[in-house]
Amino acid sequence: MASPNTKNGILRLLQIAGRRKYQLLLSAILALVHSATALIPYILVYEVIRQLLVPPVDMASLRPLLIGAAVAGLVSYGFLYLAGILSHIAAFNILYELRRESSERLGRLPTGALERYDSGTLKKILVDDVERIEGFIAHQIPDFFKGLTLPLVTVGYLFYVDWRLAAVSMAPLLFLGVWFPYVFSRPRTKQLMKLFHSSNESMNAGIVEYLRALPVMKIFGQSADSFEKYSGTVRAYEKMSVQWLRESAPTWAVFMSFMSNALLPILILGTWLYLSQGLGLGTFFLFLILGVGYIKPVFALGNMGMEISLINRGVQRLDEVLAHPSLPVEEPQGEMEDASVAFRGVHFSYVPGQKVLEDVGFEVRRGTMTALVGPSGSGKSTIAQLTARYWDIQAGEITIGGRDIRSFTPESLMDQVAYVFQDNFMFHLDIYENIRMGMDKTPEEVEAAARAAQCHDFISELPRGYHTVYGAAGTHLSGGEKQRIQLARAILKDPPILILDEATAFSDPENEYLIQRAIGNLIEHKTTIIIAHRLYTIMNADQIVVLDKGKIAGKGRHDDLLVHTPLYARMWEAHTQTQSFSIR
Amino acid sequence: MIRNILYCFRFDAGGMRKALVWEVVHSFLLSAPSGMLLVIIWELFRADPDTTRIWGIVALMGAMFVVQLYVARQAMIRSNVSIYRISTQLRLNIGNKLQRLSMGYYKHRDPGDLASVALQDVANFEQIFGHSIANIVTAIIGTVALSTFLIILDFRLGLTLVAALGIVFPLAYLGQRLVRRYGRQLIAARTQTNARFLEYIQGMRHARAYGMTGRSFRTLEAALDALRIRSIRVEAIPGPMILSAGVILELFFVLMVWMGLYFLSGQTLEIPVFIAFLIVGYRLYEPLKILMVEYGVLSFMNVSLDRIVELMGADEQAAGRNLQPEQFDIRFSDVSFGYHADQLVLKGVSFEARAGQMTAIVGASGSGKTTVLSLMARFWEVTSGKVQIGGINLVDISPEQVYTMISEVFQEVYLFDGSIYDNILIGNPTATAAEVEAAAAKAQLMEFVEELPEGLGTMVGEGGRRLSGGQKQRVSIARALLKDAPIILLDEATSSLDPENEIYVQRAIHELVRNKTVVVIAHRLSTIRNADQILVLGEGQIQEQGMHGELMAARGQYARMWELQAAAGVWKMA
Repeated sequence: MASPNTKNGILRLLQIAGRRKYQLLLSAILALVHSATALIPYILVYEVIRQLLVPPVDMASLRPLLIGAAVAGLVSYGFLYLAGILSHIAAFNILYELRRESSERLGRLPTGALERYDSGTLKKILVDDVERIEGFIAHQIPDFFKGLTLPLVTVGYLFYVDWRLAAVSMAPLLFLGVWFPYVFSRPRTKQLMKLFHSSNESMNAGIVEYLRALPVMKIFGQSADSFEKYSGTVRAYEKMSVQWLRESAPTWAVFMSFMSNALLPILILGTWLYLSQGLGLGTFFLFLILGVGYIKPVFALGNMGMEISLINRGVQRLDEVLAHPSLPVEEPQGEMEDASVAFRGVHFSYVPGQKVLEDVGFEVRRGTMTALVGPSGSGKSTIAQLTARYWDIQAGEITIGGRDIRSFTPESLMDQVAYVFQDNFMFHLDIYENIRMGMDKTPEEVEAAARAAQCHDFISELPRGYHTVYGAAGTHLSGGEKQRIQLARAILKDPPILILDEATAFSDPENEYLIQRAIGNLIEHKTTIIIAHRLYTIMNADQIVVLDKGKIAGKGRHDDLLVHTPLYARMWEAHTQTQSFSIR
Repeated sequence: MIRNILYCFRFDAGGMRKALVWEVVHSFLLSAPSGMLLVIIWELFRADPDTTRIWGIVALMGAMFVVQLYVARQAMIRSNVSIYRISTQLRLNIGNKLQRLSMGYYKHRDPGDLASVALQDVANFEQIFGHSIANIVTAIIGTVALSTFLIILDFRLGLTLVAALGIVFPLAYLGQRLVRRYGRQLIAARTQTNARFLEYIQGMRHARAYGMTGRSFRTLEAALDALRIRSIRVEAIPGPMILSAGVILELFFVLMVWMGLYFLSGQTLEIPVFIAFLIVGYRLYEPLKILMVEYGVLSFMNVSLDRIVELMGADEQAAGRNLQPEQFDIRFSDVSFGYHADQLVLKGVSFEARAGQMTAIVGASGSGKTTVLSLMARFWEVTSGKVQIGGINLVDISPEQVYTMISEVFQEVYLFDGSIYDNILIGNPTATAAEVEAAAAKAQLMEFVEELPEGLGTMVGEGGRRLSGGQKQRVSIARALLKDAPIILLDEATSSLDPENEIYVQRAIHELVRNKTVVVIAHRLSTIRNADQILVLGEGQIQEQGMHGELMAARGQYARMWELQAAAGVWKMA
């Protein structure tokens, strides 16, 4: 009973359900058998009443019906159970597949596309919105079969008995059949639906964010009430829900009232026909008993319209997210010559019109170290991320071993590069897996990497050593420790090219020396790009690229830059000055 | 379950009471047509039906239909508005409650789990209850009214029908127990899925760098699989209980018909009474069947309510005697602390950070430096010993009061997704625009903010991801400047800035710490050489204590760290 405009949506939902076509079909047939057997008590009541009209009652003829009704009562629910279980198994398997495939797909989306969404929003779409599809597959498809086929049989029979009463019994149905699609296809309904979803998403994002920032909230005395993003989105969601409720309540009131008074038209016409037109009392009772029974499942279809639109909107959101094209992989042009990296005439912006990199070109020869320096926002981190192809550039080219990085598959590119990030993300896995990261390595190799990254000692002191699950009660790692875990990952991976982003930010003096030795081991014989802040650490780099507002202000070795690049000279001076900083 | 529902009703008692009155009225209107139908059938059975009476009843039914249009709308709006209001209150209370709990509480619970209490569990209440409330009221009213009516008409048949309830309710109860048991497991699986999914998204860059995405990200896949299996279980296992209740109802109806026919032949039953049972008797079970299904769903909702009530009942940090310190010196007296009872991080630490002075804490990773700062902010309660501010034990100061006295520049800066302005304003929500700008200027933010097209109004993205590390750092200093608290806790604040910014930040810090009690964790020892006191932490204890000169002269750990730091320096290509 959905409007033509949502037809696309229903087709999409059916396509999703089609993954378990036969299971669902069987479920529908079983549901049908259930409804058919559920009619038997009605027939019993009708038959008894008919006989009561012309006593005496013939017990012998009623006995089979009584037994039939009892048996039907027993088996009918068995069929219902089987139908329900089948459709639910199908539904939950489909949800599982959808989520698994979608998260896999998310893993292949360009980072840029992914970062357009809050993690709370993505969670809502992939977890909550997908959950709603269960309603369609497990409930609405079987309901649809029940709601349509059984009434058709009943109505056919009623028309055969008395066409006038049958026709009038359909009046409420016809009215709702015209009116409901009209209501659901109104632009206003769609608009409300959209607003509902978006306010729900904002609330998700607001709450997830508040919880992530709880330590900050605590210290700044911000409660859920005073943190606008929490209280505001929660209240806006309430307002939106109430708004929707108010606008849809009249429709539902009509629906409820029609349903509970569905026999009124039959009653009026039937009474008149009985009193003045000689309608048989038996026929009249048949309609009073059956004429309403068939209407309920059909009404349930009306319910479906609204729910389907809601589910649909969720699926649309899912499809929207998944529709972002993955980064295209071009034909490989020639072999990779060596582990050198080159930027040639690279232009890049995250948002059209806001240039982040402009005509950036430099070369990093195999096995050498290049340092990127420059003020905040000059594009250092962007260069590092572009090397790993987190985004595609707008002009120019980036090559590894002479081969455009766009011609690598994401996997083969990642095989070449290890990236030590600024943020130290730890997964809810044990320390061993946090280092191994799914790579094909032996425990010995993992431990060797941990030792090289100066992690082994503190890991050994954890309650369960390498098998301590990070994030479980009592596991606390300091920023420096997490950083070293990251270094261990990179050491274990041992790729030819290395990108280090602010790698020593959290190291403490006791370990800084050792960490630097670890980094020294890590970068040995590797092509390295380092984003450095403390300039003395990169004084000996083979090449220093100085960036300023997305452009290269100079490149060369430390001594040359001091002479030829005023920005670098200024930074060096500032750096020397900061070294003498004392908090007070 | 009733207790949980009443707990929720408290948040909008008045609105809910009125809504329930409307629901009751509506439920009468819903069951009225069956009663009137019965009267008409009785009339038709008479040898000489009273037509005026029949038409009168039909007219009455028509009138009630019109009334119902209005009542149904009112009932629906009022009960749902009330439920939405309750949900909002629940969400706000959950958020407020979380903010009042100790850090220990959330460190031991997955943030994704907490998010799903405020989102999923409340949504379960909102959706399930909003959907069921009308059915529940109708089922209760309808069942009580109809069964009373039937028992009065003929107690033998009436009691037979009602006797079914004696079997049905225990079955439903068992079913509900099963739903509860398996529902809990399902909610746990959903929570896991949420947490693993958030982790998957938030750690995507890292996962991707090692090819650990999609199916190879096994914890997410395991969570999805558990969710699938547990979802099926919740449907499959309690199902037979609930459905066999339906079977019982069917069988008792057939039994009643059979008994009726028997009594009829024995002349102990009137035909009109039997007809009443045939027509109304079957309807007696209709609301019950609906309720049976609702009961399962409601039990599931109850699992969510349990989680909400449990969270709301968690112990908060007490305010003790709720005193307010006048001075801001901090004293640790023999403080021991462990995140886990059997694993002490600090062992008998004593020191005093005098008001207006600077105390620096140095030591290796994991030596407990950050823990000391956390205890000062009363993020955790000490295991033994005491922490005092201005001579008052922290347990006698409310956590809120503690936070107003402290500004902390965190190790990991967290900005929320709003403008730079809003992120600073959180330091003091009552500050004027001029004050926010002044703080921004003091924190040397203007240098980059001025170049942004939207200035302080620029949105920073979730977690502040559109700003560089150095920029975020300065925003957090501006925040602290705006707050102007007497105690400043600095944690690794200056470690990730580039040189030019660092000069700015250093100036900002100078501004921030002026005339304050300062406790700082520093990695570059040179920055704290002028500290009034330096504490060297190791193995959870204070190893050395004194001013820079004294510690250097002692030639202990501190002196060795200085030498190491001097040796670190240029990265060597082996």
